[in-house]
Amino acid sequence: MYNLVGNEILKLLMKKRLFVVFGILLILIGLFAYGEQYTRDRTEARVAEQLGIDDIDDWREITNQQLRDLERRLENPFIPDEGRASLEVRAEQLRYYLEKDINPTTFSAGQFMSNFMEQSIFLFLPLLIILLGADIVSKESTTGTIKLLMTRPVPRWKILTSKVLALMVLEMLVIFSMAGISLIIAYFTFGSLGFGEPVITGFRIVDGSLDTSNIRTVSLGVYNIMVYSMGYIVAFTIGKMALMVSVLVKSTAAAIGIMMSSLIGGTFLSFFIGDWELTRYLFNVNLQLTDFLSGSLQQVEGLSLGFSVAVLMAWAFGSMIIAYSVFQYKDFMD
Amino acid sequence: MNDQKINECKNQESETLEIKDRGNKDPVLELKNVKKTIRKKDIIKGIDLSVYEGEVFGFLGPNGAGKTTTLRMIVGLIRMTEGEITIGGYSVKKDFVKAMENVGCIIENPEMYDYLSGWENLKVLASMETGITKERIKDMVSLVGLEKRIDDKVYTYSLGMKQRLGIAQALMKRPKLLILDEPTNGLDPAGISEFRRLIRSLAEKENLGVLVSSHILAEMEMMTDRVAIIRQGSIVKVISVDEIIKEKGITYRLQSPEKAKILIEQEFHGEVQIKNNMELVAFVNEEDVPTINQRLFSEGIALYYVSKNQKSLEDLFLQLTAGDEIV
Repeated sequence: MYNLVGNEILKLLMKKRLFVVFGILLILIGLFAYGEQYTRDRTEARVAEQLGIDDIDDWREITNQQLRDLERRLENPFIPDEGRASLEVRAEQLRYYLEKDINPTTFSAGQFMSNFMEQSIFLFLPLLIILLGADIVSKESTTGTIKLLMTRPVPRWKILTSKVLALMVLEMLVIFSMAGISLIIAYFTFGSLGFGEPVITGFRIVDGSLDTSNIRTVSLGVYNIMVYSMGYIVAFTIGKMALMVSVLVKSTAAAIGIMMSSLIGGTFLSFFIGDWELTRYLFNVNLQLTDFLSGSLQQVEGLSLGFSVAVLMAWAFGSMIIAYSVFQYKDFMD
Repeated sequence: MNDQKINECKNQESETLEIKDRGNKDPVLELKNVKKTIRKKDIIKGIDLSVYEGEVFGFLGPNGAGKTTTLRMIVGLIRMTEGEITIGGYSVKKDFVKAMENVGCIIENPEMYDYLSGWENLKVLASMETGITKERIKDMVSLVGLEKRIDDKVYTYSLGMKQRLGIAQALMKRPKLLILDEPTNGLDPAGISEFRRLIRSLAEKENLGVLVSSHILAEMEMMTDRVAIIRQGSIVKVISVDEIIKEKGITYRLQSPEKAKILIEQEFHGEVQIKNNMELVAFVNEEDVPTINQRLFSEGIALYYVSKNQKSLEDLFLQLTAGDEIV
């Protein structure tokens, strides 16, 4: 089994698709870091202008200003309930920072890292995993090398298992390289690591209002580990689904197309008919696991971290059952 | 007469066509009543076949007759609907791993991982088998003459080089049975004859059973011991190549064929068939031809030319598969 997995990893590495993924990561993280820096400078300048001071050193001033902005918006009676709850979360966070004397305006590499994963977890990360996973079986079918593999004295289930395990290693590699690349780029852009900074997590929205009963403070380092673990759960699920599609269809292009359209289509669906109870069982709406940590507003109400992880695991497990049973009895005709 | 003979053969049952002079050699591959049905359509309608150790067995048939489907069922790429296939005594269905330990194969094109080098391809495939040493792989590389290019990526290879790599891959595990689907595709004439010699020597020296499919009839005639002709999913005839060669006959163009017929039949005990008033076909040993010619000359029969018939396998093939449409 060990040598089979080794073979699969060798193939994945030599195919160079992984390097395309690294390239995309480098470019995107670079742009993201630049953009973050740019917005930060702009905000500071704007606040400084509003307060009529040349330079902002006092973070309390800025935080107070942001809080006042938020409160003004909350006074607007035309904001829908969900929007109001989300604004309240942010206001509550700011109040908490002020109260505990935590500076939220400093921006460190650690914060950038968690931000980056929070932003990529529902679309960009799945996309990378699809790029890697969708061709793992279908490429062999397209090029005909599947025949080499299937005529060895190795049972079919072992061949598929070696591919599943190799893909899992690769998913891990993608998560680690996302963390690594964003850490390095952000460190050079923002100057500090900031893993010791406290982060407040555990906000929840229950019935449209804010629940602060589970709030706790963790260090940014720990928070990052939590965020990237959520990333791995998503990568794991999407990887299994991509592998299943790769078993079902012969062409890699079709496999990538099917995965992409279900990813994007499902998100649309949940966006437009979010009231429909059934949408919460779609994998798409459960991808934003990091929102449960950061306290952002959920698109679909009534989700919890446990529920979302359970739904994702069910999708992964179901995909594996389909992939194995089809692969085991499939006829390789051409 | 010749036509009549072929028709007789066609009507014979396939079980009577087992070759008797196999001695006590074991069949390395056996197919018993193998059937394949896809969406209620019978693709393969019950094939019985044995390939013995040290034998090169040819598999002939028009496009769509079921050659590749049968070969794919033998190596487990396609599940059979009914029947039993054993390789080296192990059932492909029940004992897949053991059965596959005895087979080396190239099915259709010799596809390899083109983003890996030739050597890496062999190493990856060898790691999925047991007991293939580095030396063995090296030996195979030099056997197929790829030493100079083995470290290059496969996408730089020509079809002929891929074919050679495919042969190395199939042989490195020391199989008892070698399955080759259209193996000389992409090989140049020198490569083809080299390949033919390799296959013959493997069969003779290492007692390898070889099942080879092709539509190049001349090549089949030169390379194989026996040939099965498959048509619309069933085997219509199994024939030994010796028989075909015997059936070939010698064409004489001469004066008064009737007189010559009597002479050859009486003195050389060969069957003679008169084609027209200038030609006859004699089924005699080749060694007798000079003496026959001398006798004809001394009897005063004018001889225009003598030639060996070349097309008997082709005739047989065309006759047996006549009027087929691709299913």
